[in-house]
Amino acid sequence: MTRMASQQVNVSQRRQAALDRGRKIGSQILVYAVLIGLLVFALAPLVLAWFTAFKTREQIIFDPYGPPIPPRLTNIIEAWTVGNFSLYFKNSAIISVVDVIAMLVISSLAGYAFGRMKFPGQRVLMVLFLVGLTIPVTAIVIPLYLTMRDFRLLDTYGSVIVADVALAAPIFIFIMRAFFKDLPSELHDAARIDGCSEFGVFWRVMLPLAKPGLLTVALLEFLWSWNDLLLPLIFLTSDELRTLPVGMLFYQGRFSVDYGLMSAGVIIVSLPVIIMFLFFQKNFVTGLTGGALKG
Amino acid sequence: MNITKRQTPRAGGAVTAREAAASRMRRRAQSWLTAYLFLLPAVALYAIFVLRPTIEVFVLSLYKWNGIAADRQWVGLANFQKLFADTIFWQAFRHNLTWTVVIVFFNVLIGLVAAALLSMNIKGRVIFRLGYFLPVVQASIVTAMIWRWIYNPDGLLNASLHAIGLGSLARGWLGDFTLALPALAVAAGWSGFGLSVVIFLAGMQGVDQTLYDAARIDGANSRQTFLYVTIPSLRNVITIVVILAMIGAFQAFDIIWATTRGGPIRSTEMLATYMFKKAFTENQYGYASAVAVVLCAIILGFSSVYVSIRERGND
Repeated sequence: MTRMASQQVNVSQRRQAALDRGRKIGSQILVYAVLIGLLVFALAPLVLAWFTAFKTREQIIFDPYGPPIPPRLTNIIEAWTVGNFSLYFKNSAIISVVDVIAMLVISSLAGYAFGRMKFPGQRVLMVLFLVGLTIPVTAIVIPLYLTMRDFRLLDTYGSVIVADVALAAPIFIFIMRAFFKDLPSELHDAARIDGCSEFGVFWRVMLPLAKPGLLTVALLEFLWSWNDLLLPLIFLTSDELRTLPVGMLFYQGRFSVDYGLMSAGVIIVSLPVIIMFLFFQKNFVTGLTGGALKG
Repeated sequence: MNITKRQTPRAGGAVTAREAAASRMRRRAQSWLTAYLFLLPAVALYAIFVLRPTIEVFVLSLYKWNGIAADRQWVGLANFQKLFADTIFWQAFRHNLTWTVVIVFFNVLIGLVAAALLSMNIKGRVIFRLGYFLPVVQASIVTAMIWRWIYNPDGLLNASLHAIGLGSLARGWLGDFTLALPALAVAAGWSGFGLSVVIFLAGMQGVDQTLYDAARIDGANSRQTFLYVTIPSLRNVITIVVILAMIGAFQAFDIIWATTRGGPIRSTEMLATYMFKKAFTENQYGYASAVAVVLCAIILGFSSVYVSIRERGND
């Protein structure tokens, strides 16, 4: 009796173990199925556009979703020359590069003042910039347009650059402030005793130590200004000044059925950002999530 | 500061003490001046191009103005009276709410599930994270163009439906009154959920490991651990992701402007597109500013909750 019972227990235990293992494999399969499904959802639209950019019109009609075999550059060359994308690319590059340089200067100076200096009115100014973190561009775009008109900046690169920098300044000032605040103050005192001016301390001692912060500022500011649609759409009216996103918006109106040219445009807009992203993946991710999780 | 203090007693005498005090004052004033000079470019730009327009939008909302005429006509709160009786405004407001629901679904539900699965022992985790994040860095115009194409009558979505035998569901998605709005919101969800995946992953790393150990000892399975340990520990992070989604959803403009422009027959009209049309195509700057003020109030409400949570998290 007891032997039979123990045998039965043994059998059921073994069966239970097999069942558990089966369930475990089953749940593993489910986990990977969900993750891969999401990956397809995330990448399929992009891959489709990238494939299409390298196909001829015939290839697009006969095999709309397959890979481009052989890959052709005709669409990209056509978009670059006939579609004016070389011009739009130049405009976008000028605006984004000047944006980044201006933002590096402005946010590091102000971030340093907030993080390492003491002066009357500090709290008030901090709160004022904190408010800036919450003001949405969409809500102030009308008076901003009128301001640009008053300054006679409409339809110049300057309008977009100045607005981009002013609007994003608060977030980057707080990023730089956090970097400077955490540097040891012995460095500052030592440099001062060695006869460095306050600006010298900032420029020669502190700024080189804040390089990771500067990289984050440069990458995010580039990403945002490169991808921005609203401000250049409103401020720039002549075709010679259009940025890539605005150019694409109008281009789409003219060539909406030409998938080949459209996806060539997609490649031209996103290639610089994707290359940067692949090189500085970590900085992008921590910059974007750090902005959300802590100041 | 230290140096002057040390020197004072050695020098002695009332005159030198006063001199020392004066030089201390001078030095302090000089360091203040340096600080102000450091701040000048940021403060100037910010005051002219952010703060002043923010005040100006409230002022403009009290006028009737075509944007060109020299004199603006004061109308008090009439723009708001008109706005709250405007059916298109309420329609747009409801569309923003629908948009919010879809975005919150993508960012919170999908984001949380993906992050939870990725935080398990997964092969190729880097690839998944990279893949989910790639849409996040795409320009809104790219998102709009690709998805417009997917939703076309001869686009990828209909082709896939035909391929799996659901051809009867195929339609021109963006031409459909009821489906255009959720279809575009899905495109916005596509471009945003990867960010919340990495936010949740970062949050999950901060969860107290002993809670997981305790749950395992108590015999909790992975689903129970997720529901009763992970989610409660991520309360603040979830709130932040929800609020960020709401802030984004009420500003929705780019994807709609690049595809339907609010159509067909206003079925995708949003507060931002309505404001844009009123200001820049109909030249009703006062009325458009009233829309902007409402938009601003809604978003400031969300953001102040967000900032207060974030500040609390920092303490």
